[in-house]
Amino acid sequence: MKLTKMKSTPWRSLSTAAAAAALLAGAAAGTGVASASATPNARVAQTFGVNATGTVTFWARAATKAIPDALVKEFNATHPHLKIVLHLTPNNEASSELATAIRAGTAPDLVGLNDINVPAFSKEGALLNVTKYVNALPYKSSLSPGHLKLATIGSQYYGVPYLADLSVLWYNPKLFKQAGISGAPKTFAAMLQDAKKITSLGHGDYGLSFAGDCQGCLGFTMLPSIWASGQHLVTGPLGKQNANIDHNAPLKSLLTDYHEIWAGKMAPHADQAQNGSTWGDDFAKGNVGMLPGDYGFVTNYLKSMPKSEFADAPLPGANGGPGSTFDGGDDFVIPAGASNPSGAWEVVKWFLARSQQEQYPALGDTPIRSDILTSSFLAKYPYDAVALHTLKYGSVEYTLAYNELFNAPGSPWDKMFNEAVYNGNVSGALSSGQASFQSTLASVDS
Amino acid sequence: MEGAALGDGRDVPVPGAAASRRRGSRSRRERLEARAGLALVSPAIAMVAVFILFPLGFCVYISLTNWPLIGPYHFVGLANYTALPHDSVFVQSILFTLEYTAIVTIPILVFGYLMAVFVRSNRPGASIFRTCMFLPYIVGLTTLSFLAEVELQPGYGTANVILSKLHLASINTIWVQNANLALAAICVLVVWLASGFTMMLLLAGMQGVPEQLYESADVDGASWWEKERLVTIPLLRRSIALSLIISVVGSILAFNQFYIITDGGPGTSTVSLVMEIYETFNTAMHVGAASAMAVVLIVVVGLITFVQFRVLRSDDA
Repeated sequence: MKLTKMKSTPWRSLSTAAAAAALLAGAAAGTGVASASATPNARVAQTFGVNATGTVTFWARAATKAIPDALVKEFNATHPHLKIVLHLTPNNEASSELATAIRAGTAPDLVGLNDINVPAFSKEGALLNVTKYVNALPYKSSLSPGHLKLATIGSQYYGVPYLADLSVLWYNPKLFKQAGISGAPKTFAAMLQDAKKITSLGHGDYGLSFAGDCQGCLGFTMLPSIWASGQHLVTGPLGKQNANIDHNAPLKSLLTDYHEIWAGKMAPHADQAQNGSTWGDDFAKGNVGMLPGDYGFVTNYLKSMPKSEFADAPLPGANGGPGSTFDGGDDFVIPAGASNPSGAWEVVKWFLARSQQEQYPALGDTPIRSDILTSSFLAKYPYDAVALHTLKYGSVEYTLAYNELFNAPGSPWDKMFNEAVYNGNVSGALSSGQASFQSTLASVDS
Repeated sequence: MEGAALGDGRDVPVPGAAASRRRGSRSRRERLEARAGLALVSPAIAMVAVFILFPLGFCVYISLTNWPLIGPYHFVGLANYTALPHDSVFVQSILFTLEYTAIVTIPILVFGYLMAVFVRSNRPGASIFRTCMFLPYIVGLTTLSFLAEVELQPGYGTANVILSKLHLASINTIWVQNANLALAAICVLVVWLASGFTMMLLLAGMQGVPEQLYESADVDGASWWEKERLVTIPLLRRSIALSLIISVVGSILAFNQFYIITDGGPGTSTVSLVMEIYETFNTAMHVGAASAMAVVLIVVVGLITFVQFRVLRSDDA
C-alpha cells in the first residue's frame, strides 16, 4: 500500500503560495509596482517578496549563528512591517528537525539548510519551487554555482545560495621562504615537492598536515583538487548515478601523494588521530608548511599568528589551473508548507543584497556572490578574497548519498583513504572503493 | 453506633443489621478508595501511555515501513528485520556492544564495592573520599569523553605523556586508530565514572545492614573477609542486582563515549549499537531501518534485564 500523505502537503502549500503570490501581485499592481506590460509570471516574480507583512519563522544552523544573529536583529530594526523569528537548529539534527516539522505540518517559512542535504528535500517536493524568483535576481550569474547546483532538480530551483563555508590551502610564507619556495603550489606535484622541501628544513617542521581521522574534513579538502582536475567521484543524474573511482586519475594521483607524504613523515604523526576537534591548531604553531583546511580558521590565525606566517590559496588541481573549493555552507530553502513564503523571499533578497553580503566576512563566513569581490573588499578581507575569488570555480558532489559515501563512520571514502594513505595500497583501495561507492549509490537510487 | 431507634430516643444496637451495614459501608469506602487511587495514578498512566507506549507502538509501525527522512513511504512488512542479519555493520555493532558490556560490568561492580567499603565508615575524611569518588559521575560522561579525547592525543596528551615516562607506551601512541587500544581507553574511562555511581548504590545498601550482625560476627571471631562474605554481600543482594542491571543496560545503550572519542573508528570497529541506529537514522536517513534496529535493541535489553531479574532475585522476593 502506497501512503502518500507527504505528497499532498507540497501541492496544497504550492497552491497556497500561488494564491498568496497572486494576491500580492494584485495588491502590487494597485500600487504601481508591476508594469502594465508585464506578463502574469513576470508580475508575480516582481511582487512576490515585496512589502510582505507578518512574521517569518527562520531556522538556521547553530554552526552559522553569527550571521543570522546579527542580521536578523538588523532586519527587524529596519522592517517594521515584517518580523523574523529566528530559531537555531542543532548542527547534526537540522535535517531531521526540518523533516519532522514538515511531516507535522509545522514547517518554518525559511530555512538555512546545509547545502548537501537540499537534494533530499527538493527531490520529494518538500520545498517551494523558486525558479522564477531566482531567475529574476539581477545578480543570479554571480551566485555560487555549487550551492545553486545542489538546489536544482532538472532545470528548476528549489533554493538559493545563502552563505559559503569554503575550503582553501593555508600555507606558511615564512617556511616557504626558508625552503626557497616562491608561492603556494598550483599542481599536485608542486604540493608534494614543497612538502618535501619544508620537511627537510628540520627543527620539527612538517610539509603538510591533514585531518586524517575526519572523513568529512578530508572530503572537504581533497575533493576540490579532483574537481579542479576535471573529475568527480559521482556522475550522472539523481536516480541513475555511477561511481567514478577506479579510473579516476586525479583521485589516484592525490591518494598516492598523500601516501607519500604520510610514509615520508612529511605530516605530523598525530594527523592519523585528528578527528576534526582540533583541526588546524597544529598549523597555528608555525611549524607546518601547508594545511588544506577551512577558510574559517582565519579567526584563530589572526589572533594567534604573525601575519607573515599564514596565507591562503585555492586548493590546487592535478596539472594547474585556477584551483577549486568545496562549496560548503547553506542554501536558503522555503518549505512547501510555509505560511509566509512571500515574507521569506523578501528576507532572502535582503540577506543577498550587497550591504548584507559585505558583512559576512566579519561574521565568520564568505559571501555567496562572487561580484561582492571588489578592490575595497580585497583590501579589507585579503584572506576571504582568496576564498571568494575561488567561489566561481567551486563545486560539490551532487548526490543524495553524500553523507553515506563520505561522512558516515566507515564510509566508502573513509575506507578508501585509510587503505590508500596509511596502508599504501592505492590500487586496491580504488578497486574496492569503486565497488563500495557503486553499491551505496545503488542502495540510495533503488 | 448503629442501632434501632427506640421511642425514648435512645439507640439500641442490633448486631446483625449493624454488621451488614458496616460491610456495605466498608465496600463503599473501598470503592471510593479504589477510585481515588485510580484518579491519583491516572496522570502517571497517561504519561506512560503518551510518552512511552504510543512512541513505542509508533516505532514498531515505522519499522514495518520504508520510512525515509522525508517523502512518501509504504509498508514493507518484516523486510527491515530480515535485512538486519545481512547488515554487517549492524551485526558487528551488536557483537561489539556485547563485548564492551562484558568487559566493563564486573570491574564497575568490583571497584564500586571496594570504594563503598572504603568510604562506608564514619571516620574523619570519609565524606571527602566519598565526594571525590562520586565526582566523575557528576561531571558526566559527555564532558569526560571530550577531556579524554584531548588527553589521548599523540604527542601531547596526558595519557601518553605519563605512560611514556613509565616506559609503558610511546608518547606517539594513536589510541583511536587501534580498535583494541580505543576500547581499552574507553573502558577505563567508563569504569572510573560508573564505579562512583555503583559505590553510592551499594553504600546505601550497606548502611541498612544492622550493626548487631557485625557485632555478633565479631563475637564469633569472624575475619573481615568472612564478615563481608557472610553478612554484607548476602544482605546486599538486592542492591547488587540493581547496580548490575543499571550497569548492563547503560552499557548496552552506550553512545556518547564512542561518538565523541572514536566516532566509531577505526573503520566501524567501535560503532556501538545505539550509534549504528543513530547513523542509520541521521546520516543514511533510513528511518524505517533505524526503527527496526531500535525495536531489536528494546527486545535485547528487555531479555537481558528479565534474565538478570530471574538470576539475581532474592529468595524472599
